[in-house]
Amino acid sequence: MNNLTILVVDDDPVIRRLLEQRLIREQYEVLLAEDGHKGNDLLSTNHIDVVLTDLMMPGEIGGIEVLEFAKELERNIEVILITAHSSVDTAVEAMKKGASDYLQKPINFTELFLRLEKISTMRGLLRSAEDLRQAMDVTESTAAETIQNLEIIAGTLQDQVDSIENILTSDTMMIEDKISKSLNVILNWK
Amino acid sequence: MIKISPAELKTIAQYIQDISGIYLDQSKSYLFETRLSSIAEELGCSSYQELYNKAKKDPGKIIERQIIDAISTNETLFFRDNGPFELLKHKILPEIIDLRTPSSPRLKTNIKIWSAASSTGQELYSVAMTIRDLLGTQIDKFNFKLLGTDISDGAVKQASYGKYNKFEIERGLPRQTLQKHFTLFGGSWKVKDQLRGMVNFRKLNLMLPFTGLGKFDIILCRNVAIYFTLADRKKLFNKLADSLADDGFLIIGSTESLTGICPRFIPKRHLRAIFYQKKN
Ligand SMILES: C[S@@+](CC[C@H](N)C(=O)[O-])C[C@H]1O[C@@H](n2cnc3c(N)ncnc32)[C@H](O)[C@@H]1O
Repeated sequence: MNNLTILVVDDDPVIRRLLEQRLIREQYEVLLAEDGHKGNDLLSTNHIDVVLTDLMMPGEIGGIEVLEFAKELERNIEVILITAHSSVDTAVEAMKKGASDYLQKPINFTELFLRLEKISTMRGLLRSAEDLRQAMDVTESTAAETIQNLEIIAGTLQDQVDSIENILTSDTMMIEDKISKSLNVILNWK
Repeated sequence: MIKISPAELKTIAQYIQDISGIYLDQSKSYLFETRLSSIAEELGCSSYQELYNKAKKDPGKIIERQIIDAISTNETLFFRDNGPFELLKHKILPEIIDLRTPSSPRLKTNIKIWSAASSTGQELYSVAMTIRDLLGTQIDKFNFKLLGTDISDGAVKQASYGKYNKFEIERGLPRQTLQKHFTLFGGSWKVKDQLRGMVNFRKLNLMLPFTGLGKFDIILCRNVAIYFTLADRKKLFNKLADSLADDGFLIIGSTESLTGICPRFIPKRHLRAIFYQKKN
């Protein structure tokens, strides 16, 4: 089962259609945007796992800007750039800004599905690790509370024992005084 | 994966304890196998006995280092447990600053802090961030020496480099803190120079004598003693008491206890966290 939601941002209607059909056939949820503006709008209003965006698009919002916007919104989001052969350098530059990958046109779907598959597996693993971690955090914080309470109690008892030891080993006190002072320590400890 | 025999388990477990203090439960043979098998295979060993023999004979101790890196649990995160950092911010740092500020305003305040098992550095950088956030521009009046040590070469290396991937970053670091103290660097995040400049990392085995470190005002020794035997824990905290200023502060892991381990320390509570000071 593929439970990823994918946003496709591309100004070319043919590529949009093609990606939509192929992705839906593979059971992905798909959202479409015809430019960067629309892409960013959809990013703001939907939960999206992967953005598949063209690098070069007309208008002031290109693939890089979509990438930056997406990462700003949600650090965990995966962004795959689609590039023409000539803009590989820009794509590499984009990887530094946090893009997960880039694909060259014409899109090789086998390659694309493999990458999405990898992202999906990775997310699943992360999810279970996160679940485990949360379970552990709860156990740990409960244990910490108990241990810290005991630690303070043990410390207090140690202090009492120390003061009683001081009293009992004193050379200047009568035995009756020692006993009553020791009892006082035990009974009146704050 | 190469299987480990009961005899090898004993040898290897003892060897690991000797070189690192880390005590491993011999009933968990899979733990040895999953962590050491690839080292053995890479070195062309067909058994763990062979790996042990090679490690013992290796003059550069490279194999020993690899084994330690593989065995040690470097699990850590920024602002782990949060409590200790609140404690530092609201109680320990203000108090130690008061105690250490010299009467002459021309002199700088010297404060030494030690993260005694710093792993990949998140703990010490969290301390550094806490200090910067607390002092703001006043920080120039202070001379903070922040030292992080660990037995694992790999961990010390990453800590010194100060670069973290997004998984390491996402755990525990609020966005604002991230943007203030880190810069994006090829999909990872790198500690900014001003923060990096406050800290130093180096290799140190807590089982060995602490020579040349001097006394510290604050020591964090969290989530490492849990891997040692009771006897080794006692020795460790005794040495830490020697390395701590008489009015200094010790912070241990949130699920750790010093009861029955080191009577030289007394526990104190502040809000929801505990710290230790030396008995006078
Ligand atoms: C679980 S991490 C704790 C990191 C950090 N203090 C924290 O609480 O998040 C334990 C670290 O102790 C280190 N360690 C284990 N044995 C050690 C020894 N004998 N001397 C120094 N460090 C040791 C390991 O390499 C590992 O990085």
